[in-house]
Amino acid sequence: MSGSSLKILIADDSPANLKQLEAVSRRAGHQAILATDGQAAVDLYQAESPDLVFMDVMMPGMDGIEAVRRIRALPTDKWTPIVFYSALDGMQDIVRGLDAGGDDYLVKPATIPILQAKLNAYSRLLALQQKELGYIEELKAWRQDSEEQSRLGAHVMERLTDAEGLRDPMIQSFNLPADTFSGDLLCAARGPGDVLNVMLADATGHGLSAALSAMPLTQVFYSMTAKGFPLSSIAEELNRKLKALLPSDRFVAATLASVDVRNQTVEVWNGGNPDAVFMASNGKVSMQWSSNHPPLGVLPPAVFSSTTETVVCHEPGQLLLCSDGLVEAEDPEGRWLGLAGSLDLLSVEEDLKRRFDTLRKGLDRHLAGRAGRDDISCMLVHVPVERRREVRFSQPVPTPTHQGRVADWQLSLAYSSPELRYIDVVPAVLGFMTQVEALKLHQGTLFLVISELFNNALDHGLLGLDSSTKNLVGGWEIYMQHRSERLAELTSGRIALSFLVHEDEGRAVLDIDVSDSGPGFDYKAQMGTADLASNDTLSHGRGLALVRGICSDVVFSEPGNRVWARYLL
Amino acid sequence: MQIASEVAGNKATLNLNGRFDFHSHRDFRAAYENALGETGIREIEVNFRAVDYLDSSALGMLLLLREKAEATGKSVVLAGLQGTVKQVLDIANFGKLFSVKG
Repeated sequence: MSGSSLKILIADDSPANLKQLEAVSRRAGHQAILATDGQAAVDLYQAESPDLVFMDVMMPGMDGIEAVRRIRALPTDKWTPIVFYSALDGMQDIVRGLDAGGDDYLVKPATIPILQAKLNAYSRLLALQQKELGYIEELKAWRQDSEEQSRLGAHVMERLTDAEGLRDPMIQSFNLPADTFSGDLLCAARGPGDVLNVMLADATGHGLSAALSAMPLTQVFYSMTAKGFPLSSIAEELNRKLKALLPSDRFVAATLASVDVRNQTVEVWNGGNPDAVFMASNGKVSMQWSSNHPPLGVLPPAVFSSTTETVVCHEPGQLLLCSDGLVEAEDPEGRWLGLAGSLDLLSVEEDLKRRFDTLRKGLDRHLAGRAGRDDISCMLVHVPVERRREVRFSQPVPTPTHQGRVADWQLSLAYSSPELRYIDVVPAVLGFMTQVEALKLHQGTLFLVISELFNNALDHGLLGLDSSTKNLVGGWEIYMQHRSERLAELTSGRIALSFLVHEDEGRAVLDIDVSDSGPGFDYKAQMGTADLASNDTLSHGRGLALVRGICSDVVFSEPGNRVWARYLL
Repeated sequence: MQIASEVAGNKATLNLNGRFDFHSHRDFRAAYENALGETGIREIEVNFRAVDYLDSSALGMLLLLREKAEATGKSVVLAGLQGTVKQVLDIANFGKLFSVKG
């Protein structure tokens, strides 16, 4: 059917009737195709697929009633009105015709104005049907498009979420989507110093639009974690990126945490998510980190606060992160599970390893088989306490490729107080170093050595901090607070680092030289305190002891503001 | 959600009623765009006294309103915070972004 011109099938055994209907049709601008018996009408209908049918009842061979039955039995995806036009005018004839599948019944002879009016009425109805079919096609196309987009979104989100880091033995997690896929994002990765960073992000809304908002986070999180940036720098960069990419009514609530088993610390930044909770092995909550910041992507970088809160864990336990979907999960009566409800589920289970399953099962019971209204995600990080302070950083076995065939490589850097205040020096230095093939393999251990030596120079050399503060109750927090205060006020001072890769007595070695402009510190006392293999729970001195364990030589120069270390490659 | 707007002097108040979520998008925008268009209005108060629930897309709409209001030199005040609504706004730390009134 094109425009308002219809293709009309007229079946009648009387030439006069055919002629009359054909004339009326042609005059109204329609095309007429003619049949003189029922069988011919069915054949023409199949061959030509007309828009409208006028059907006589009494015809030789197959009559009109049978022809209409057969036409109506044909498979079709559009409605073709059939009008009986017959001299039979009994009530039963009319009913029989309509029962057979006719839409209308005209009694012969009808006047030309009546036929014209009927034709016009059907023309309007068919135009309406055409329009509706168009809408349906459009909707179908939309639906297909949308399913395709969802499929793509689900695929990408699955890949982004199914990162290696989440299979860390310290982590258990689930992510239950409200839509076809979740807009909540879970990430986990180890930094070069073996610190475990995790992130639980919940973007505005759910489904594709939420996932799209959360996607930019992953790359920043993984690459900055791999380079060893501190949590606050990662939070800042995540916010900067989202603020630049997202429209102002979109944002992402996120909890970032950094778990350092070696130093026994848990550091958290929470913007817009429910409280992060540390639950000790006895089921008691020993720390709760409330959301202290607006979600990521809301504030411009200049006023964004990346302040984190760190606690020292004196006993083993678990860190729980979750999205508001868990807190607001409704039972059939509409009651929320709540954070308290979630914590109850965790704490009733005495077996630490089974707490996660108990929470998961409890949530399922609470939801009673229904999907959540929002994405529900949750991550449980197991934080052990290591009684034996062992060196966890075994040196990688040197590969023969590097041995005895290493070219000289040298790097010297110096930072003054203005830069020291805002540059994350260790990741920056490590960035240079890991471009060198011979050093790449040692990234993790080098990060540790360099950060210990650099932090020593900064904390004790320039900032004059006292490590023994860390031994007091709450000492770590006090120490970190002093550190950030003094760093902010630092107006003079300089730290120089130099690195030399070369061969010495047929071995590839890396010599590290770190010096600061401070007055020096009592390195002998520091070197003496910690014995790595002892049950020593002192928080300080462990760093230097580790460096001594890793490097073949560690030599301080008087008055203690310069250290030289040799690392065998 | 129903929205009843009233203007008194240089202040427009949007009294929200019901559930403030994604479906309220069009109504909420229509309500605040009226207020934004009036040059005499300096302050737009969004009153949550009769709101039972608010979700993250509602937070997004508030941010959008804040941005548009700032561009036309108007301020946005959140009022009548209670119950769940207060909790959600606290968690999102919206107190740092908006003036809040009892």
